[in-house]
Amino acid sequence: MAKTDNGIRICQGLLILGNVVIGMCGIALTAECIFFVSDPHGLYPLLEATENNDIYAAAWIGIFVGFALLALSILGIVGVMKSSKTLLLVYIILMLITYAFEMASCITAATHRDFLTPNLFLKQMLERYMKSDTDNNNDKQMTEGVTKTWDNLMLQCCGVHGPLDWQEYTSAFRMTHNDADYPWPHNCCVMNTRSEPINLDGCKLGVPGFYNSNGCYDAISGPLNRQAWGVAWFGFAILCWTFCVLLGTMFYWSRIAY
Amino acid sequence: MAPSSLALNTFRGGASTSLGSLFQHLTTLLQSQKALQTTCNKSQKTPSQGVQESSGMLSHWVVLVLCCLGQLCADQSMKPQLAAPELATNNPTLTTVALEKPFCMFDSSLHPNKSYAIYLYVMKSSASTISSVVTDSSSKPLDSTFQQTHGGHLGPYKAASFDVPNCVSPPRLADAGDINKVSDVLKQYLFRVGDDGTCLYDPNFLDVCNPPLAPDTTYRFKYVLVDNTEGIVKDQTLWSDPIKTRKAKLPMKIDIWPGRRSGSMIVITSILSVSVFLLLAGLLASVFSALVESEDPSAETKGMSETTQQSELRPQLSSE
Repeated sequence: MAKTDNGIRICQGLLILGNVVIGMCGIALTAECIFFVSDPHGLYPLLEATENNDIYAAAWIGIFVGFALLALSILGIVGVMKSSKTLLLVYIILMLITYAFEMASCITAATHRDFLTPNLFLKQMLERYMKSDTDNNNDKQMTEGVTKTWDNLMLQCCGVHGPLDWQEYTSAFRMTHNDADYPWPHNCCVMNTRSEPINLDGCKLGVPGFYNSNGCYDAISGPLNRQAWGVAWFGFAILCWTFCVLLGTMFYWSRIAY
Repeated sequence: MAPSSLALNTFRGGASTSLGSLFQHLTTLLQSQKALQTTCNKSQKTPSQGVQESSGMLSHWVVLVLCCLGQLCADQSMKPQLAAPELATNNPTLTTVALEKPFCMFDSSLHPNKSYAIYLYVMKSSASTISSVVTDSSSKPLDSTFQQTHGGHLGPYKAASFDVPNCVSPPRLADAGDINKVSDVLKQYLFRVGDDGTCLYDPNFLDVCNPPLAPDTTYRFKYVLVDNTEGIVKDQTLWSDPIKTRKAKLPMKIDIWPGRRSGSMIVITSILSVSVFLLLAGLLASVFSALVESEDPSAETKGMSETTQQSELRPQLSSE
């Protein structure tokens, strides 16, 4: 009797500890996903225009899963302390649903990260930056978003692989800006405090020091990678822990009586 | 002084330009030796300077001899060159070509008291079969324009006219890093063919028009030295090597297929799927075992004894 008593106590203790960790992880997941959804680097318009913004969907799911994990962990602690079969059954079922959602979020983030290649951004930049004849309102909004984002990015870099992207490919930009005056957009030039190129001829000829010669792919893929891996792997870690806690809860549930 | 010619010719292959590059190298070396001599004469002589001067004198004579030999074949090997790639990294572009101005190419033909101008002629490579002559019968330079020759298709057209560049003190390429000096350096050192996009369509434009070139086309260039008073051609370089403008590809041909799935995605998907299956199996197992226990009467008594034990334990705990 003492042994089973101790056994039950240990089991309860472990489950409560497990649920506390789940609750804290839930808060952390919510905070992390809110940070990603707030888009501190302003890259969301690029993804929206590629119609490949599912890593943001994964982050949104993560926010709600985090809250759910927190609430369910409290329910689990109460259920374990009261040794109530109903409460624990409700806990197990709701936790399984939350588990499924979080699994969806992780897999989405990991899968859609693979789509974000340099060529994707290159094609979108060439086809949308400063596009003048837009088909409809949606197209116009996406074009404005892409143009604004690239104008911001080009303060420190040019093109996706480098400024020669603008020379090697025709683009919507090239339709309205001729090559003699704009071999690449003037935003690629090194600017002074009044947002003018410090030397336009030097920028057009490609004199080192008067134009940004590095590509923007690192500036784009860095934050997006961190977001995708942050959501996917942290969610995966939470789910591994939750798996163990759930198995333990099921075992405990089957052992207690009504 | 020297780097302007020295730097740009080192990478160019081809036997025809090597003599020209050698000559340019020697003339600039000669000038630097002259400058060193004059400074040595002005300043106080030290032993090290004396040694330098004597070795300088020797190399100076060697240079002079080679220089005379080189001058004999100077006219055969002067060609317009592309601007230094370290300075103009974006060259040639889709519609422009930046050429180095003809430094020290016409020095043998210059008289000190006369004023000269340099004309730049441009033609497509394919036009060399039609006509590649830039002077008319009386040795006067051709006055053809971009429109008349259909952009250099039917023959050379005049793209620019500027002063003879200063051979004695050419611009230093190292100054191109300085914001205040870069405009002057660029203006003195190179000329950008195809720079003016508006002169073709401006009816009031009276100067020499330099409209953008065609993409993916080979062009050849020639510098001509013209005497301003007499208006006749005094000297001319050879036609340059064919220089091709860039070709632009279509963006819709860019392949955006992501390639293989990454390892992380496979790991996450497979492990999570297996774990969901195990959890569902565990849930079913525990529900099933609970149902079996509730049907089994012996299990009921067992369950009852467990609950009585637990109820005994609870008052003990609450008293503690």
